[in-house]
Amino acid sequence: MATEKKSEKRNEDQKAYDNLVNLGKDMVSEVDRDTTPTFETSLRGKSNILFDSKDGYLKLGDKTETRKFMNLGQARTFMQTISIANKLKQFIREGLHTSIRGLYYQMKFSLGDDLDESLFEEQSESNVLVEDLEVAIGAKREDFHLTTDRKGVLAGNIKLIDRFGGEEITIDGTKQGRSGWMIPSDVDNGMEIESVKADYVLVVEKDALWQRLNEDRFWQKEKAILITPKGQSSRGTRRLIRKLADKGLPVYVFTDCDAWGWYIYWTLKTGSMNLAYLGKEFSIPNSRFIGVTMSDIDRYEFLQKLTINAKELDIKRAKEMMEYPWIAKHPEWVKELKKVLDTKKKIEQDALQGQRLTFVSEYVRDKIENNEVLP
Amino acid sequence: MEPNPQDPLRDTNKDFREHSVAEFFKKNKHMLGFSGKTRSLTTIIHEYMTNSLDACDEHGILPNIRIEVTEIGEERYRVVVSDNGPGMPKSIIGKAIGKMLAGTKFHRYMQQRGQQGIGATGCTMYAQITTGKAVHVLSAHKGKAISCDVKVDLKTNEPIIENMAEQDASYSGLTVEAEFGEVKFDKGAYGVLEYVKRTAIANPHAQIELIAPGNEVYKFARSVDALPKRPKEVQPHPLGISTYDLQAMAHGAKEAKLSAFLTESFTRFSAQKVQELKGLTDIDFSKNPKELTWEEAEKLVNAIQKLKWIAPPLDSVIPIGKEQIEKSMKNVLEPEFVNVVERDIKIYSGGIPYAVEVGIAFGGKINEKKGEIYRYANRTPLMFDASGCAIIESVREIEWKRYGIDMETDPAVIFVNVSSVHIPYVGAGKQAISDIDEVKQEIKNAIMECARGIKMSLGRKRKAGDMEKRKTALMRYIKRLSEDLANLSEESSKAELEKKLTHIIETKYTANMDEEEEKPAEKSGGEENGNGEEE
Repeated sequence: MATEKKSEKRNEDQKAYDNLVNLGKDMVSEVDRDTTPTFETSLRGKSNILFDSKDGYLKLGDKTETRKFMNLGQARTFMQTISIANKLKQFIREGLHTSIRGLYYQMKFSLGDDLDESLFEEQSESNVLVEDLEVAIGAKREDFHLTTDRKGVLAGNIKLIDRFGGEEITIDGTKQGRSGWMIPSDVDNGMEIESVKADYVLVVEKDALWQRLNEDRFWQKEKAILITPKGQSSRGTRRLIRKLADKGLPVYVFTDCDAWGWYIYWTLKTGSMNLAYLGKEFSIPNSRFIGVTMSDIDRYEFLQKLTINAKELDIKRAKEMMEYPWIAKHPEWVKELKKVLDTKKKIEQDALQGQRLTFVSEYVRDKIENNEVLP
Repeated sequence: MEPNPQDPLRDTNKDFREHSVAEFFKKNKHMLGFSGKTRSLTTIIHEYMTNSLDACDEHGILPNIRIEVTEIGEERYRVVVSDNGPGMPKSIIGKAIGKMLAGTKFHRYMQQRGQQGIGATGCTMYAQITTGKAVHVLSAHKGKAISCDVKVDLKTNEPIIENMAEQDASYSGLTVEAEFGEVKFDKGAYGVLEYVKRTAIANPHAQIELIAPGNEVYKFARSVDALPKRPKEVQPHPLGISTYDLQAMAHGAKEAKLSAFLTESFTRFSAQKVQELKGLTDIDFSKNPKELTWEEAEKLVNAIQKLKWIAPPLDSVIPIGKEQIEKSMKNVLEPEFVNVVERDIKIYSGGIPYAVEVGIAFGGKINEKKGEIYRYANRTPLMFDASGCAIIESVREIEWKRYGIDMETDPAVIFVNVSSVHIPYVGAGKQAISDIDEVKQEIKNAIMECARGIKMSLGRKRKAGDMEKRKTALMRYIKRLSEDLANLSEESSKAELEKKLTHIIETKYTANMDEEEEKPAEKSGGEENGNGEEE
C-alpha cells in the first residue's frame, strides 16, 4: 500500500521528499564524523531581505544561519526542526495533507515520561520551523503536504485537472455559475492547468465587485480569467495567478483606492517582506495596476462625491509605502501616494457602481484597452 | 604604642600596695574580659585553654584538652578543664592560680597566645567573688599528682592553698575545676562553643573536646600531628615596647644604669642609639633604671619612635602555616572548598615583624548564611570589640562581588590570623587589632589574594555545574533527535545515533569546552504582518 502511494507521488513533492531525506543524510554523516549535526537556513530577518530590481521581486539575501545541536541555545530548536522534517516526510509518503495547526497537534507530545517538557508547547514554535524548512530545502509548504486557507475565487475559460482523493476530475472555469471556483491551497501538487483560453487575468480585490463582473459575464466578453483574492491573496491564489502569468497572460489588478488596496497589488507583484523567502515562486513582477487611482477621482467627476476620508492608518501605510524603494522608484506611484497624503481621501472600488452598475465593466475595459495602467 | 591611661596593669602596678586586689579586680574586671555573662564564661574558658595549649606547646606535647561546662544553678556553672600537659610542680601552683601578675608569661618576649599574665588567677578571683568557692586543682607533674584548693587572699594578693594532697602518678597533666556565678553558656557568636571551635581551627595540632551543658559533646579532632614550631625567645625590639612595659622592665632591671639596661635588655639597642637618644631627650641615662618614672618612660618611648632601627630577627614570627590552616578549616568547617594564603613576614612601625595568614572556606557544611569573619592574633580567637578591628575594616573595604562572593548571603568563613611578638592591639582588652595603615593594607592584600583563589574555585564549580546542566539539557533531546534523524535519513539506527550523539556530548562537555557563544536560534521572520496578509 505504501509503495503504491509512493509511486503516485508527483514531481514537486517527490523532490521535497528527497530533499528532506538528504537533509537527514547530511546530518548523519556529520554525526559519523564525530561532529555536531548542523542545519543551515537563510536568515529571514529584515537585514537579509532585498529587492532585486532586475528580477522585480523581494528575495532573501546571502545571509545564512547554521544551527548546531550541540549549541545549548539551539538544541531544542534543532531537535524540533528534525522532528518536523521527519513528520513532513511521513505526510508526503502517506499522501495525506494537513494544516500547520494539524501538524502542530501531531507534534505536541511529551518528550518522555520523566521529562516535564513537550516537543512543542506553542504553535508559533512549529510555524517558524516550517518556514525554516521551506527555505532550507527550497520547497513550499504545499510540497510538504501542508494546506493553507483557501480564499480566492475564479471564473473564466480555463480547464484544470484535479487529482484528489484517488479521483481525477476536470474543472471548467466557465461552468462555475455564480459562485465561481474556489482556488485550493495547493495548485502545484495534484493540480494541472490543462488549457487556458484567455487574453489576460483580472484580479479584483473585492468579492462583491467580482460577483458584479461575473454577473456581467465579463470574463466571457473580455476573454479574461476573473479572480478575486478577497483581500490579501492566499498562497494558493497567488501561486495560481503566477502560473497563469508564466503562461504569458498579462495580469491586471483592480483594488480600492487606498494604501491597503494598493498594497494588495504590491504584495502580488513583488511579494512582501514576510514572504520574501517565497518571492521566486509567488511574485508576479509583470502585473499591472488598473485602479482605482487618485487620478481617477479627478477624471470621473461622479467619483468626487463618493470619496471617504482616509483614516490615520491609511495615511501611515501610505507613508510607509513611499519609503519602500521598489515603490518609490515609480514616479506615478509617488504621485498617487502623495495625493493620499494631501487630500486625505480614499475611495472604494465599489464606488464605481455609483453611476450605474455596469460601469465597472466599462471602466476596466477602457483602462486595459487604452493601457492606462500603473507599473 | 601610646600608653593607655586606662591600662589596668598600669593601675595595678602603681597602686598595688595601696589597694586590695579585690577592689582592683572589682573595679577593672570588665577590662579583663569579665563583662557580660556570656563573655565572662568565654573569657574563663579562654584563659584555661590558652594556658593548656601554651604549656603543651612548650613541652612538646600534642595537646588533648577536655572542657566540661555543667549548669548547676541559675547563671551558675561548673567548669572543668583538663589537659595532658606537663602539669605544675607544687611550688608554682599557688603563684599560677592564686597570685595576680605572677604568670610565667609576663616579661617574656616571644610570640605566644595570652600575654596579660592575669589569666588563671583572674578566673580564681571571679570564682571567689561570684561563688565564694576556691578553685580545685589537680596537677600531675613528674610522677606526682597534687590536688589542692586555691584561693587568692584578696588583701595581700597571696595564694591561699588548702586541702593539699599528694600521690604518685604515672601521667602528667593539669585539671582545673571551678564554679562560677553570673555567667551564661551561649551557643551564639560570643559564646564558649564558638570560641572553642575557633580555637580548634587555629590549633590544628590540638584535640579539643567540649562537653556543653546538657551533655552535648563537641569533638574537634586533631588535624595535624606535628607540633608547631617553637617561637624563639627574643629580646624585645625598641619599637615594640610600650611605656608600661618599659617602666615595668626597668623596675625589675639588674643593671645599675639606664643606658646599660637599655642596651642589655633590647635587641638592636647599641651605645650609638643611646647617644642618639641623649640628643632627643633630657633623660639622665646614667640613673638607676629602677627609678625610671612613668613620664620618663613615656618620653623615652616617644624618642625611640623617632629613630631608625634595624628590624628585629624575623624568625621571632611563627605563623600557623598554610597547610595546617587548610587542614583544620577542612576538618572543623567541612566546607566545599578552602583557600589559604600565608604571606611573607612584613614589618610595621619601621621595625616590628608580623605575618598575616588568611583562609577562606566556602560552602559545604558551613551553616552561616553570610560571610563570617574569624579573627585571630597569635592563634587566639578575637571574639569581641570587632568594630574597631583592622581585620573587620579590611574585610569591609573589599569589593567582594569581584570575587564572586556575596558577604550578605554566601556561606563563607574568612579566617585571618596575625602573628607577631608585638600584636598591635587596640587597648588593654586585646580583642582588636589596631588600624595601623600598613598592617591594615597587608591584611587586605592577604584577604584579596586568598579571595582570588576562591574565585577560581567558584568559577570552576560554576562552570562545571554549567557544563553538567548543559549536558543534561542536551541529553534530554537525544532520544527524540536520534529517532527522528534515523527515520528522516533512512540511514543509521536510533540506537547507533543515540550512542554517537551521546559520545559527542560527553566529549564536548567534559573536556575543554570551547568558548563559543551559546546563543538561541534566531527566530527569523520578516516585518510585522500588519495588513492581514495571508501566508
